[in-house]
Amino acid sequence: MPPPSLTARAPHRSLGNLALRLRVSGVVAFLILLGAAFAVLSPQFLTPQNLRAIVSNAAILAIVAAAQAVVLLTRNLDVSVGSIMGLCAYLTADFAAAHQGVGPVLVLMPLVLGAGLGLINGLLVAYGRISPLVVTLGTLSLYRGATYIYARGQEVTSYRLPRWMIGLADATIAGVPWLVVISIVVVALLAAFLRFYPAGRRIYAVGSNPLASAFFGLRAERVIVLVYVIDGVLCGLSGFLYAARVGTVTVVLASGWELNSLAAAVIGGVSVTGGSGTVVGAALGAVVLASIDNGLVLMGVPEFWRMFIQGAAIVAAAAADVLIAVQIRKSVQGRRRFRERGA
Amino acid sequence: MKGLGSRIFGWEFALVLLIALAAAWSTYLSPYYLTVEQILYSTRHFVFPGLLALGLAVVVILGEIDISLASILAVGAVLLAKASAFGLPIVVAAPFVVCVCACLGGLNGALVARLGLPSLAVTVGTMGAYRGLAFIIGSETGYTDFDASYAYVGATRLGGLVPVSFLVFLALALAVGFLMERTVFGRRCYSVGNNKEAAWIAGVDVARLKIEAFALGGALAGLAALVWVGQYGSARGDNADGSILFVVTAVVLGGIDINGGRGRIAGVVLALFLLGTIRNGMGLANIGGPTQTVVLGLLLIIGVLRPVILNAVGRLRRMGPSGARSTLAD
Repeated sequence: MPPPSLTARAPHRSLGNLALRLRVSGVVAFLILLGAAFAVLSPQFLTPQNLRAIVSNAAILAIVAAAQAVVLLTRNLDVSVGSIMGLCAYLTADFAAAHQGVGPVLVLMPLVLGAGLGLINGLLVAYGRISPLVVTLGTLSLYRGATYIYARGQEVTSYRLPRWMIGLADATIAGVPWLVVISIVVVALLAAFLRFYPAGRRIYAVGSNPLASAFFGLRAERVIVLVYVIDGVLCGLSGFLYAARVGTVTVVLASGWELNSLAAAVIGGVSVTGGSGTVVGAALGAVVLASIDNGLVLMGVPEFWRMFIQGAAIVAAAAADVLIAVQIRKSVQGRRRFRERGA
Repeated sequence: MKGLGSRIFGWEFALVLLIALAAAWSTYLSPYYLTVEQILYSTRHFVFPGLLALGLAVVVILGEIDISLASILAVGAVLLAKASAFGLPIVVAAPFVVCVCACLGGLNGALVARLGLPSLAVTVGTMGAYRGLAFIIGSETGYTDFDASYAYVGATRLGGLVPVSFLVFLALALAVGFLMERTVFGRRCYSVGNNKEAAWIAGVDVARLKIEAFALGGALAGLAALVWVGQYGSARGDNADGSILFVVTAVVLGGIDINGGRGRIAGVVLALFLLGTIRNGMGLANIGGPTQTVVLGLLLIIGVLRPVILNAVGRLRRMGPSGARSTLAD
């Protein structure tokens, strides 16, 4: 017979796991329902080409949503993701246009730029002790404004970009677009990092109970800077991929993505109150959004209905999270009370 | 040790100095700045975001946030356009629209207070949903013609000089200031923002108070819509898109603690004057929109770093004499 402490802990842990698994499978179930509904309403929805279009559209948003999820896990958020993408994409594209013949080493540039911009956010949030919403709302306009000032009304047209960069968007490997492969690899690496590495576990610890993690000896400031740097790097990468995809890089590239990424993360079961959720869920949330988009276009529904549905979906997903959390707390408390009475 | 009251007064005094500085700078930048007519006319830059800021300030003092206010304004604007197209008199349409907007705000509040959802997640969601709703009501093209009575608040200038919208803003600022400083409602807002649990134990109906505060924000957004249609003569789903940056900047720069419980409406009004003066001056000096946005972002971050900087300065000052003492003791 196992010692009593283990029997006391096991149900608690499995309950949390179950709820999390339920939450992610909830997203999958919703996705299947959504797919079935669209398949009935529009015959083109389930064709291979259309499905490929959906995952290609979701690929970049999935990376940004995963980045947003990492930040949300620590009870913070980043509304400057679109501006980071835009600034990194513009500077990189402008550099590539000025230095023709630069190889794939170019990819490092947006990553480093993104890390720097994320670092600024992280330092302000962690050491300035400012509300993350206010900081990133400020840098949202700072980074976007910097892009405008640097660009001076110009844009980088696709023929000035390297061939390989433009080709990246259409290239496929075994019928799967490269963008999708990159996206899956990035999200999988990030998920593994969060799951198996101490630094990844610290991110969850700081988000789920800052006080306890401080007593445990974690330095929340460093963890917060780390998540913003990760977020910045991934946004830089996404900006680069998005630039490759759209071809012509304008100053407004990726504006408004803060909402899409938040929506995807929240729909994918990442709690805005921190500590709960997975990057895989966030990536699936991006697929849900892309499916809604695609299905509504196929059905000929005006574009602005999407805003309405997306907004309603965020509220619904947030409500689902809170209801689940309340249920868990109730059942855990009930068991604890029971145990105490028994003892 | 200075009391809290005098410290806040100090910040408001600093805002007045900054306004004077910004005005002097604007006079230096542009010869067109320093006329009464110009300055009064320039208030149109901050009246509609100012009304949103008054509502947001109340919600933030409560310890919550509402970033969907600009979207509520858009719903209000297209509803007014619809009402104008139906031929409804403004005295019926305006209260109706303000009520609808208050309901939209109240819905945010109900989701936050009754279901216990985080206000940021809720209002990020409703920000999209309400804007979608505005497009759904007003279609993609929107409206451009209004009955003259609808434009009265936003477009008329009394005696050819004082904009009615500015007077409306001043009156509402006084009213909200009175509400927060002199009524039970205001006291309760501060107490909930400072310590929700303590306020609840003391018998404050926290959920109801939150719903009322969000509804007040929505109603003010409805009034802002009335100003908007008169000022810009258009109503469309994307009205006031992106203005939430200006609104949050004004609230934070005005000295309202983003975590709730602290700050005064007077500070927000002064911050609006400051931002309006800077914007007006830069506009007259032909400084482009992007640079203005960068300045706004910088001001926002400086505004929130203010307590951190003040603390650091205070610590240095305290360290100075004590350091000197310790060397003397040696």
